[in-house]
Amino acid sequence: MMETRGSARRAPRLELVDGGIERRGRWLLRDVDLAIEPAMLTSVVGPNGAGKSTLLRLLSGTWRLTEGKALLGGFDLSALPRRQAARRVAYVPQTVRPTFEFTVREFVTLGRYPHESRLFGTRSADRGWIDRCLDDTDVLALAERRVTTLSGGELQRVLMARCLATEAEVLLLDEPTSNLDLAHGLDLLGLARRLVDEGRSVVLVLHDLNAAARFADRVAVLDGGALIAEGPPAEVLNPDLLRRVFRVEAVLLEGSAAPVFDFEPLG
Amino acid sequence: MRIAFGGNQAGFWWYMAAGTALLLAFAGIGLFRGAVPIDEGDVLAVLARYLLPGERAADPSVDTIVWSLRAPRVVVAAMVGGCLALAGAQMQGLFRNPLASPGIVGTSTGAAAGAVFALTFGLAGTFLLAAPLFAVAGALLSLLIVTRIATRDGYTPVTTLLLAGVALNALLAAFNSWLIARSWEQYEAARRIAYWMMGGVTDRGWVHVGMVLPGMVIGCAMAVWFARDLDLLLEGEEVAASLGVDIEKTKRAVLWSAAILTGSAVAVSGVVGFVGLVVPHLVRLLLGPVHRRLLPAAFLTGAWFVVGADLLARTLVAPKEVFLGVVTAFIGAPFFLFLLVRHESEVAVSR
Repeated sequence: MMETRGSARRAPRLELVDGGIERRGRWLLRDVDLAIEPAMLTSVVGPNGAGKSTLLRLLSGTWRLTEGKALLGGFDLSALPRRQAARRVAYVPQTVRPTFEFTVREFVTLGRYPHESRLFGTRSADRGWIDRCLDDTDVLALAERRVTTLSGGELQRVLMARCLATEAEVLLLDEPTSNLDLAHGLDLLGLARRLVDEGRSVVLVLHDLNAAARFADRVAVLDGGALIAEGPPAEVLNPDLLRRVFRVEAVLLEGSAAPVFDFEPLG
Repeated sequence: MRIAFGGNQAGFWWYMAAGTALLLAFAGIGLFRGAVPIDEGDVLAVLARYLLPGERAADPSVDTIVWSLRAPRVVVAAMVGGCLALAGAQMQGLFRNPLASPGIVGTSTGAAAGAVFALTFGLAGTFLLAAPLFAVAGALLSLLIVTRIATRDGYTPVTTLLLAGVALNALLAAFNSWLIARSWEQYEAARRIAYWMMGGVTDRGWVHVGMVLPGMVIGCAMAVWFARDLDLLLEGEEVAASLGVDIEKTKRAVLWSAAILTGSAVAVSGVVGFVGLVVPHLVRLLLGPVHRRLLPAAFLTGAWFVVGADLLARTLVAPKEVFLGVVTAFIGAPFFLFLLVRHESEVAVSR
C-alpha cells in the first residue's frame, strides 16, 4: 500500500468563471462555471471528446482561456508567474512513454523545478523531499532505474511522485488509472483519497464511473464542450443522465454504500 | 540506452577529469609535434616565456612556430569543437531529437553563405575579419528568418521551426553553390572557398581565438543559464509549462545561444561536420540527459575530439594535411552508424 506523510497546507479554491476556449474556430469548452473546493476529490467524467483534458489544461493555467477567468484562491491564474502557479497547481497529462533516459530520481526531481534556484539547482533539502515523494508512492526502490524501462504501473506511480515533488496543493490528473491494472488502479485512487484527506484538492479524469462514484466527493460531467452537471456522485450520477450523456442503459445495483452501476448499450 | 558511468555526480566528475586529461594530452602533442621537429626543451622554453612571469629569451623562429602557429591552432580547435558540441547538445534537447545538429535551423549553412559571400566578392582580401564577421552575421540572420517564418501569435512550434530550417538550409546551400560557380574562373577565390567549406584550423592565429572567444563566452553563459529548462522540455512542452517553464523564452534563448556558438565556430573553422551531432549523442549515452552535466561534458568532449582530429589531419599524410572536416566526418559518420545499428530504436525515435 502507498502511504503519504506530507502535511500539506490547506488547498486554495480553484475555479473557472464562465470559462471558454476556442481553437481554430471551434469551441472546445464554453460557459463553464466550476469550483474545485479545497480538500475535495473531484472526478471529471464524460464521453470521448467532451473536453475533459481541455478542462484540466484550463484549470492548470497552461492553456489560456478565450473568455472567462480561472481563479486560484480568488486571484487570476493567468496573471500569476508560471513558476508560482506551478508551486500551487500540478498537472499530469495523459501518460506518454518517456523517450529520454532519466533515472527515476532525476525524473522526479524535474518536479522541483518551480522551487529550484537557477544558479544552484537542487539543494539538499530538495533531495530529502524527493526521497519522501518516492517513498510515498512506493517507488523508492526504483530510484536508480531508467524511466524508459518502467512498466505502465511503475511509470504512473513515478509520475505521481513527480507531481507530489512540486508540493502543489491542487493536483490535476488526466486519466491516471488508464494504464494500470485493477490493483494498481485502486492503489492510486487510494493515494489520491489520502492526499485529499491531508488537505490537498485532487481532480481526476476517470472513465470508470463506478470508481468515480466510490472515490470522489464531487463529480463533474462534461459533454460536447459543456458542463452538464456537478455535485456529489449520488446526486449527479443517475440512470437518466447516464443515458443522455453516455448513451448507456444504467442499472443501479443495490446493497453498496456508494452507487454501483451495471451498464448495457442502449437497445 | 544509457551506459557505463550511470547518472550520478561522481561519474560526471570522473568523466570530466578523464576528458580534461585527454584534452591536455592532445594539446601537448599538438604543441610538441609538427612538420618542423623542435626539441621538447625549446618548446617548454617558449611556453614558459609566455605563460610564466619574468623575462626569458628564445630563438625567434622556434618562438614563431610554437607560439604563433601551433598554440593558437590547438586553442582554436578546442574552442570550435566545444562550441559545436555544445550547440548540438542544445538543439537535440530543444527538438527532443538525437538527430538534431547545431545547424539544423539553418545557422551553419547561413554562416557558410556569409563567409562565401565575403570570399567571393573579395572582401576577405581587403579586410582579414570580413569572412568571420559575415559568417556570424549569416548565422544570426538565418535564425532570424527561420524564427520569423515559424512564429504565429508569439508561439513558435518546434516542428514548423524544423521544417523552415530544412527549407532555408536547402536554399542557402544552393546560394553557396551559385556563388562558388560564379567564382570558378578566379582560381584563388575558388580555392579559398573550397578550403573553407571543407573546414579546418590550419594557420589560425590568436586573432581567430579572439574572434571565437566573445561568442563562445556569451553562448556558453546562455546555455548554462537555460540548462535546467531544457531538461523539462525533453518531457514535452505541456509538462514543462505545467511545471513552470517559460516555454517561448527558453526556446528563443536556446536558439540564439546555439546560433551564436555555431556562427562563431563556423566563422573561424569553416564547416567541421559531425562533431555537433555525434559528440552530444555519445555523451548522453554515457551520462544521461540531464543538461547540467550533459552540456559541460559535451563541450569538453567536443574540444578534445576536434584537437585530436586535427592532430590526425596534420599527421596522416604529413607533410601535407587532410581537411579537418574530412577527418571528423570519417570518424564521426561510421561511429554514428555504429550507434544507429546498435541502438536502432533509441536513435530513430523522436517525439
